[in-house]
Amino acid sequence: MSILAIDTATQVSSVAVADEGRLLSELTMQGKLTHSETLLPHIEQVLKMAAVNKEDLTGIAISNGPGSFTGLRIGLAAAKAMSYALHIPLVGVSTLKALAYQLPVPGVRLMCLLDAQKGNAYVESYRWQDSLLQLAEAVKVAKISDIVAGCGKLNEQVILLGDAVQKKIVGKMELPENVQAAMPHLMMPRAAAVAMLGLRELAAGHTDNVMDLEPVYIRRSEAEVLWEKRHPEEAKPTKPTEEM
Amino acid sequence: MEKNKEELLTLAIESSCDETSAAVLRGGREILANIISTQIPIHQKFGGVVPEIASRKHIVNIMPVIDECLRTAGVELKDIDQVAVTYGPGLVGALLVGVSAAKSLAFSLGKPLIGVNHLEGHIFANFLAAPDLEPPFMALVVSGGHTALVDVQGYNRFRMMGQTRDDAAGEAFDKIARVMGLPYPGGPRIDALAKEGDPMAIDFPQALTEKGNYEFSFSGLKSAVLNYINSEKMKGHELNKADIAASFQRSVIEVLVGKAFQAVKEAGRDTLVLAGGVAANSGLEARLREEAEKRGVRFLYPSKILCTDNAAMIGCRGYYQALAGGFSDLYLNAVPGLSLTDK
Ligand SMILES: [Zn+2]
Repeated sequence: MSILAIDTATQVSSVAVADEGRLLSELTMQGKLTHSETLLPHIEQVLKMAAVNKEDLTGIAISNGPGSFTGLRIGLAAAKAMSYALHIPLVGVSTLKALAYQLPVPGVRLMCLLDAQKGNAYVESYRWQDSLLQLAEAVKVAKISDIVAGCGKLNEQVILLGDAVQKKIVGKMELPENVQAAMPHLMMPRAAAVAMLGLRELAAGHTDNVMDLEPVYIRRSEAEVLWEKRHPEEAKPTKPTEEM
Repeated sequence: MEKNKEELLTLAIESSCDETSAAVLRGGREILANIISTQIPIHQKFGGVVPEIASRKHIVNIMPVIDECLRTAGVELKDIDQVAVTYGPGLVGALLVGVSAAKSLAFSLGKPLIGVNHLEGHIFANFLAAPDLEPPFMALVVSGGHTALVDVQGYNRFRMMGQTRDDAAGEAFDKIARVMGLPYPGGPRIDALAKEGDPMAIDFPQALTEKGNYEFSFSGLKSAVLNYINSEKMKGHELNKADIAASFQRSVIEVLVGKAFQAVKEAGRDTLVLAGGVAANSGLEARLREEAEKRGVRFLYPSKILCTDNAAMIGCRGYYQALAGGFSDLYLNAVPGLSLTDK
């Protein structure tokens, strides 16, 4: 069983090939080229490095948000088309969960923050308990400064992960005593974690539908929000926050 | 054994604006399927295409559209010989969905990829509409964001006679429709209204009409119409929307018709084709036809389906581009501002 994993949710471009218990190859970079340019050449490369033929892949895992809307769609469009063409299952993995999966440290709160623009982040937190990654607080959108201040009030050690930490917190904000940022190489999304989570999902028989899988945006488009403000009488009741 | 080129199967994908489309062509001109999923009703309440919403619809629609296209064509994906995709111009987020899916399909199948210019695709829609059409001919391209005259000298040889300096004709149509309170998309509404109005009622300007100038400018006309509407409103007059539409449309059409036939004459062509979204404008089509008959020029324009954004025209352009070796590699990116150039 060999899986291809893709993460283009942030400015990091990461692709990996793995089978049960082994990461065969991974290509992770924050460069100048766009995901659109590099994603397929990188996929070609990691398959070659892993000596795995694309025809021998048995599944695809996609880091499916939240994150950059455009980045998520580039990754998902590629993942869907490949799953369709190669007749292999596709499974979406939470970008936030995959971040937490990189730091198997018990006894701390793993606070995952992905940039949501204008000083905000999509934030979700996890704890490792009995060797299992447990959700501590489900995703929401909040001001980054409020998130950091809130972490200071927690009665436990907190480790911050995610692109919002790299871009907006490290070197720019004073952190409370119980809070620290993860090391740079563990802070950003990596397809290896997506692959390992994806392998578990597929082994458990979980797959997503290539025909209708959507990125997990959390937020609606600004145009819709604005339109509903202007037409309150026609606005539909808002959907509950999406399940992660 | 290498396939006869007439038997080549091209899968084409188009997602540059608010239609998600996939097509399969056999050879360059035989459409086996051309599936178009339009988002117009979704964007209507916003008065225009909202890029983020368009992109969100494309990522949901793309696989069902491709799947339905292959089933309609009665073709299996593994039998596809090459994949063509629109890489510009258009909305970047929308283009990226199609480009990413197309690259991934080409890679998965181990088949060549062809990045296609959407505007060239509009011109090539005429090859699908008229099986006997061959270059050379003159093409008048009139779409939402572009107005251009292209001398099509060969399947892969184009000479730009001139294009828009500022606003395209389509933009002027949309803006004026919005100001008159007509629902999106405005072009067809103005076209319909114009039929009830007097085209000579109001004298709107026509720009760059001097002989030998093939550039277009519609910003002055647009301002003149908007000023007229404002001053009528200030005076408390009720707007005669039909007259405004008819007079505005006349100004646009006369400029297009005048320059198009001048270009036909200068290049020594005997055929003029109309291309692009605004080609569905009945007033423009009627005037071009009338003028063509007078001058003994053959005039062609695609059916309504082939005028709108569709993947069949991208497949047709892709096919002929591929014959000349015009393939793309997996680094292909979306180019939202791609224009028509000499080739
Ligand atoms: Zn178009």
